[in-house]
Amino acid sequence: MNQSKKILSSLLFIFDKFWMLGLFILTFFSLILSGLLLGFGIEGSSATREIFFNVEPWPIYVLLSTLTGLLLFGILRHGSLWFIGKPVKDLKVNLPWRLNNAVKLGVMQDKIRRDTYASVMHWCITASIIVLTFVTAQVALEDDTPLHFLHGNYYLFFSFYGDLFGLIGVVGISMALYRRYFVNFHRIRWDERLEDHLILWGLFFVLVSGFFVESFRISITELDSYPSWARWSFVSFTLAVFVDLFNFSDKLLSNMHVFSWWSHVLLVFSWLTLIVFTKLDHFIFAPINAFLLRTDSPGRLSKIENIEEQEVFGVGQIQDFNWKQLFELDACVRCGRCTEVCPANIAGQPLSPMHLIQDLKAHFNETAPLVQEAGNNGKDVRAVAKRSMVGDVIKEEALWACRTCGACVQECPVMIEHVPTIVDMRRFLVMDKAKIPATAQAALENLEQRGHPWKGTTLERTTWMEGLGDVPIFDGSQEYLYWVGCSGSLVERNLPITKSVFGLLKAAGSSFGVLGQEETCNGDPARRLGNEYLYQILAEQLINTFKERNVQKVITNCPHCFNTFKNEYPQFDGKFEVLHHTQFLDESIKSGKLKPVKSIDADVTYHDSCYLGRINNEYDAPREVLNSIPGLNIIEMDRNKSKGLCCGAGGGNMWQEEIGTRRVNHVRSEEAIDTGASELVSNCPFCIQMFEDGVPAVESEEEGRIKPFDIAEVLYRSIDSSSEEN
Amino acid sequence: MHFVVCAKQILDPDTPPSAFKIDEAKNEVIPAPGIAPVLSQFDGIAAEAALRIKEKIGDVKITVISLGKGSAQAAIKQVLAMGADEGLLLEDDAFENGDHYTTALVLSEAIKKLGDVDAVFCGRQAADWDMGQVGLGISQLLDIPCAIIGKNVDVSDNKMTVERVLLDGIETVEMALPAVVTVSNELGEPRYPKLQQIMQAAKKTVTKWNLDDLENLNKTDVGEAGRKLKLEKLFIPDNDSDVEFIEGENAQEKANNLVAKLREAKIL
Ligand code: SF4
Ligand code: SF4
Repeated sequence: MNQSKKILSSLLFIFDKFWMLGLFILTFFSLILSGLLLGFGIEGSSATREIFFNVEPWPIYVLLSTLTGLLLFGILRHGSLWFIGKPVKDLKVNLPWRLNNAVKLGVMQDKIRRDTYASVMHWCITASIIVLTFVTAQVALEDDTPLHFLHGNYYLFFSFYGDLFGLIGVVGISMALYRRYFVNFHRIRWDERLEDHLILWGLFFVLVSGFFVESFRISITELDSYPSWARWSFVSFTLAVFVDLFNFSDKLLSNMHVFSWWSHVLLVFSWLTLIVFTKLDHFIFAPINAFLLRTDSPGRLSKIENIEEQEVFGVGQIQDFNWKQLFELDACVRCGRCTEVCPANIAGQPLSPMHLIQDLKAHFNETAPLVQEAGNNGKDVRAVAKRSMVGDVIKEEALWACRTCGACVQECPVMIEHVPTIVDMRRFLVMDKAKIPATAQAALENLEQRGHPWKGTTLERTTWMEGLGDVPIFDGSQEYLYWVGCSGSLVERNLPITKSVFGLLKAAGSSFGVLGQEETCNGDPARRLGNEYLYQILAEQLINTFKERNVQKVITNCPHCFNTFKNEYPQFDGKFEVLHHTQFLDESIKSGKLKPVKSIDADVTYHDSCYLGRINNEYDAPREVLNSIPGLNIIEMDRNKSKGLCCGAGGGNMWQEEIGTRRVNHVRSEEAIDTGASELVSNCPFCIQMFEDGVPAVESEEEGRIKPFDIAEVLYRSIDSSSEEN
Repeated sequence: MHFVVCAKQILDPDTPPSAFKIDEAKNEVIPAPGIAPVLSQFDGIAAEAALRIKEKIGDVKITVISLGKGSAQAAIKQVLAMGADEGLLLEDDAFENGDHYTTALVLSEAIKKLGDVDAVFCGRQAADWDMGQVGLGISQLLDIPCAIIGKNVDVSDNKMTVERVLLDGIETVEMALPAVVTVSNELGEPRYPKLQQIMQAAKKTVTKWNLDDLENLNKTDVGEAGRKLKLEKLFIPDNDSDVEFIEGENAQEKANNLVAKLREAKIL
């Protein structure tokens, strides 16, 4: 059973990964096959057809040029609006990376494969459109240029794959129709519009009418005289046999052919015009947006240069976005993937990234022309918007509910980046309008005054050291700085984590020191909460401290600190080698410096924190640490690795009151409980706090509550502490 | 109109207990290393009260005054960032180690010197010593009315209306201007400053006055020399508490045992 499942999934994987390749292989083999058939003398060497035997084709070219003109005009006209936005900073050329993305994410649709049904469906449709365009082009070449190649075996093969991909297209469309009309409340119906039906039915009728045209032609020209040619067009042939049952007169058949031919052509062209007006434009915009994808880490928020000289802080109006952010709005296909995985949305809180993007898009369409006009006439562009974007169009509570968890970005098939867009608007709220939820404000004020976000903590940065003997203070002579972080030192629950990491660092015999009282917040909460100004002050201050102390390598057990040091400090010329403690532990185990010897007979489940997992792509090191512990067994939650659900604390939500039907940490705790594991292991002090809070809320004590632990705590239990002394 | 907000910079009340130390010989609090002083919470609220009125009636100048060492500028800047117009720091070695009386004295002299002040806003008490005397002292020394512990303050038609928080309700009083009000936390959180304002505040210069600037005062009136209050002993009380878990088979039995214990201890 398991074996066959494995084979099936690897087949699916191969199919998934290489469908384009598969397409070529298929074509290639079919060519060889037809060659072989020829070798066996199967009739066909003279097979051909008179292409437009019954109709006058020139109006098509008129239509085609009109359509292309319209398309170009539409895109250029609309596209000029993107450039009311600001220039994109740090847009590196890096052509190979960009082309690779355009092909991998744009053409090969890497993201769509995350949903198997959608991937099959979308592949069928795309493949069919590509191949049938190719088919049509050949027909045009054959008829209207001196090139003649549609005869003989190639003609038969051509007839075959034309029909095959027509059929594949119908299968794809049927899958889409099924999902649109027969699956209850599917994500694609959360923002359903007329165009969605038009696009689907349009393509459906294009394909069906194509088969009819073909079948009428076959009834007239091939069915009686060359049935063995006709059979190659196997779908139309079947249809023709059926049409034949009615014994229509030749005249009628011929009229029906002309009629269906024109209907087909009109359908095709009207369908293609949809590109200009509807989300069908995604087949142009998606690869372009993939091409434009950022070259740096998704964990990095943009730096506001010369912040003191800005007129507007963050993004308050549509033209404050950069042009790529505006372009992205146009690429959205309302597929709902982002909203489906958004933790805020899952918990019934007032944020849906899809609606956020769509609302911005509507606002863009309404406002951008006015801004452009005002700009051209030298008028005040800030005075033209009819509604205020932040507050009216996009509700403040939506902006605050975001965890910056990146799940939306991860899923978006057209590579939209929601997080920077959301944080840019937060920046406006905080720095320009000073509008901020009270509890988040308290955290920010605390950061300003006390250098840490934990208002009312009764601990000191050195409290965790009590009873640990000598804790080395970093003085530049040690290899690593162990960065404890505000959460690791000032929150009671996290002290055991810090102690465990400390114990493990010692047990591994590494050379390290801590900053103790000298630690100050690295600014991450301020940045995520939108106070870039405060972030820059804190970051610059700490980078100075690091440089003064000659810090080269940093180990931290907080993924947020990890992300900040690794991805964001280089923006301020702070370049350090940064390790998350799970990476260090994994290395130490592999090199034999740490030996988990004591068996821990427990089923545990592992929660990927967003900032280690999805955003920094580290899924393996923590799992390998756990796997190295004798007796320990990991049971994965349904949502794991890149699909993992946020604990709820990200994006400064640690310091906010949640509004909505549920709390994210309750939802995630339930998912962990459902695995039946006895321990819920994570790698982030924030996650642990959220679970310490969430688990008791959803599981009664009698049921033997699942216990949240950091990986370091678990591993420390398995290390023979007597080895510590060596 | 001209409002004055009195702002005090204090040792951070959020200092972790383990870092809070006292020099018993000198009867002094030892500032915890690495923990910066902050603006007394109630003074921020007093500033908020003044700003709300300014927003409502317009045409108000707000001057924030602080008595303290140079570092008290931070408190002044904070209120300036919230939206106050001018800052005034009363700084002199002679002012050091005073009590509520000398503080009120120096502040009232400064307010007198400013001349045209219509209303003075203070926090209901400083969040370090919690005396709640300075506002009343100023009003006494200036011989103007005062309302304390206000949760709502309004100024119109040359009078100030204050809703006062009482133990058993709310009292609304009206005072002719000039008047002093001390503001309580029920008024609401102090606002978060906009970045633009923070940067403007950073650029503003804070006026400094010392003893010589306040003509009516002598060295012996202020600071340690002028104290009316003598601090006998400053110490951290022992705060021992015993915890005992009440045993019992079920809730009822536990409750019975608890009641028995409470009786034993003569609490019930
Ligand atoms: S980052 Fe996470 S919380 Fe924010 S919109 Fe995207 S999915 Fe939702
Ligand atoms: S933003 Fe991306 S994932 Fe979300 S609805 Fe639009 S296309 Fe789909």
